[in-house]
Amino acid sequence: MGRYVIRRLIQAIPVLIGATLLIYCIVFALPGDPIAGLFGDKRPDPAIAEVLREQYHLNDPLLLQYWYYISGVIFRGDFGVNFANVPVSQIMAGKFQVTLNLAVTALVMEAIIGVGLGLWAALRRGKAADTLILAATLLLISVPTLVTGFVLQLVLGVKLKQWTGADIFPVAGTTEGLRSYLVPGFVLAGVSIAYLTRLTRTSLAETLRSDYIRTATAKGLPRRRVVGRHALRNALIPLVTYLGADLGQLMGGAVITETIFNLQGIGNQLFTSVHLREQPVVVGVVTILVLVYILANMIVDLLYAVLDPRIRYE
Amino acid sequence: MRVTKGARIVASAALLAIAVAACGSGASGSGDSAAGGGDDTPVRMELGEPQKLLFPQDTTESEGAEVLAALFDPLVTYNDKKEPVEEAAESITTDDSKVWTIKLKPGYTWHDGTPVKAADYARAWNFAALQDNAMSSSFFFGRVDGYDDVHPGEGKTPTAKEMKGLKVVDDNTLEVTLNAPFSQFKTMLGYTAFYPLPEKAIGADGKLSQEYGENPIGQGLFKMDKPYKKGTDTAIDLSVYDKFPGKKPAGWTKLQFKIYTSSETAWNDLQADNLDIHDSLPPTAIGTAKTLLGDRFKQEPDAGVGYIGVPLAYNKEWQNADLRKAVSMAIDRKTITETVFSGAMTPADDFINPAIQGNRPGICTACTYNPAEAKKLYEANNGPKSIDLGYNADGGHKEWIEAVANNLRANLGVEVKTQPFEKFQGILDALDAKEFKGLFRMGWAIDYPSPENYLTPIFGTGSIGTGSNYGGYSNKEFDETVAKGDQATDPAEGLKFYQQADDILLKDLPYIPVYFYRLNYGYSTKINNVKVNLLNQVEWADVTKA
Repeated sequence: MGRYVIRRLIQAIPVLIGATLLIYCIVFALPGDPIAGLFGDKRPDPAIAEVLREQYHLNDPLLLQYWYYISGVIFRGDFGVNFANVPVSQIMAGKFQVTLNLAVTALVMEAIIGVGLGLWAALRRGKAADTLILAATLLLISVPTLVTGFVLQLVLGVKLKQWTGADIFPVAGTTEGLRSYLVPGFVLAGVSIAYLTRLTRTSLAETLRSDYIRTATAKGLPRRRVVGRHALRNALIPLVTYLGADLGQLMGGAVITETIFNLQGIGNQLFTSVHLREQPVVVGVVTILVLVYILANMIVDLLYAVLDPRIRYE
Repeated sequence: MRVTKGARIVASAALLAIAVAACGSGASGSGDSAAGGGDDTPVRMELGEPQKLLFPQDTTESEGAEVLAALFDPLVTYNDKKEPVEEAAESITTDDSKVWTIKLKPGYTWHDGTPVKAADYARAWNFAALQDNAMSSSFFFGRVDGYDDVHPGEGKTPTAKEMKGLKVVDDNTLEVTLNAPFSQFKTMLGYTAFYPLPEKAIGADGKLSQEYGENPIGQGLFKMDKPYKKGTDTAIDLSVYDKFPGKKPAGWTKLQFKIYTSSETAWNDLQADNLDIHDSLPPTAIGTAKTLLGDRFKQEPDAGVGYIGVPLAYNKEWQNADLRKAVSMAIDRKTITETVFSGAMTPADDFINPAIQGNRPGICTACTYNPAEAKKLYEANNGPKSIDLGYNADGGHKEWIEAVANNLRANLGVEVKTQPFEKFQGILDALDAKEFKGLFRMGWAIDYPSPENYLTPIFGTGSIGTGSNYGGYSNKEFDETVAKGDQATDPAEGLKFYQQADDILLKDLPYIPVYFYRLNYGYSTKINNVKVNLLNQVEWADVTKA
């Protein structure tokens, strides 16, 4: 078990190095001059552009640039600086905190609402509740995040405060602690909630029809125990897989939600940095995201063993 | 050991770690939510994230400049007639527009208590000009004698560390010698690049200290409450500096800049009373802002201009001024500003923006929409059957460029191809490489509020290559007229020459002015008396709490 975890972690090292090199090359290959981009609509003074290029090693060949970067990371724990000379580690620390808060809020909402609704629908298969839940998920899937985001911000943030005078859901920003993340968390989780509901319903409905459930019912177990202990536990395996993969998605792909709710997280940072061609930032952020994916997948694999005793890792 | 047990421990520990990490800092956020009543509640102002740390000499964009304007007091500000008047300077005098004597007003101190001296100005200006320091405001000092020694150009090493035209006479007097007379020098002095720097801003290694950029010490109305950690902080908190000798705001002492990534979000925050001033309302909000805010919504001329650029030096087809006139008359500026920009811009009718001295409304006759005349003129001069129109896709220009393209198609009966470039620099590169020879989108935001700034940097022969004269327009008469304005010793006389130079542009139409920018701002019910100056910065001392 311990050996399994260690082996998985060692396997992650080449993946990480490969990912950094790949991202470095991709950002390098983007068209346009990053220094010229800093000056917006004005042509940069050639002398100053030259000094800046020298300062950021932009005149060196790709592999040498990559070496400067990766040797800094490995030997000095230095993730480099962005074009404003701010250390990338400082930027990442601040932004990942916001993103992590948002992603975990979304993930918890997904797990509770998605699995809950799915469970309900599966147990009431074919009845009005089931149809209603399916229709609701269809709506959630088809409305883009941009729309849900703006509408909920206006209704729950602006209008509700104007009507009631109470500041229940903050419009934007991160200053209100957990409350700041409720609406954006829901907006971000929206589509996944819908998928998870449907996944839970199908998976559970299928399990409920299997032989061992019939046996459990036949030997007189209460329904609560049959569903909770026997059916749901088995049905959870695809759901855990989905949630694990979703964590990375929620962290790296929240640009729209982050922008609407002014959560200055990693999605936004990545967007700006790709635009500015800030290699150290892009590489640093993506590396951490790769790490999140790797860890999330490992946790999912370990959870399989918890859910299904037949699965063992040696 | 059973595997599942170990796995269960690891998995739950990992989940717990994520949850703890997520919750742990929720509480430790910037925590400005505690809104105590009275004077301690800050006035909250919308801000986009500053591009760099807060170094005055390396800030040439509006957001960082806005914060710095609160921390520093400029040498000059601008009065209602848009003329420069002394602020941190006691007097600024010259006999020949070449040698300028700047006397500092006594009583100014840095936020750490030490007095401000003339040497602090010289230090800042020399630092900015020196090529090795790569300060983005370097070009502001190009007119100071000795700039070429410290900033010799690409591939060359500076032969001096300080400009010889900058002389500290005594603690309160600075003498600036320019390399040629320039009547508008006093106007330039209100800009961010001309703020002084304290001794501790520059580290032992001769570079700007990172610490200073996060926690700048100024000599202005406000001082920093705590360092600004770029990338982490979502607000910059300031409070009034007690020893500031100038006018202070009545009844409030705290100012907070809130950093937003989207101006729509900031507008929602203003409606929910979580923000007090928003100075870049999105076009989509202008309609609602008018009805919701009433008198608290303001529209004022902003000094920017949007043009259609013409590649005169690159494409012979466009060298006929009548063709450019025809294109200009075919553009329906009124409809474009009212519909595409939702009234956030106004139609351009001069090369000099109405925010600045010297604008003459309606002087550009070719800027009036006249499709019939346009077509006649275009056909009489045998204009090209197909027009390329390039724009940069990163700045929200697609809509108005498409509108212009539609105007040209409909009114001139030509084929128009619009071509997006990733960034503005891409258009310039393509022009240089002769891959693109079409008309292009161009915009100009001023460096200093003088009419001269709409002429020399964009149309002067000397600005080809190094400046912003991207079309390659070159006219000897124009250059000479502008030079006469520069040499004038009386500002009014200078203005007269600049307007004559403007007349030459209106005749030649090297670029086609399309719209003037407008500043659209609004404020909450909690404050009154919000005024924005020529540099688009709020006059904080005048703001009162409601």
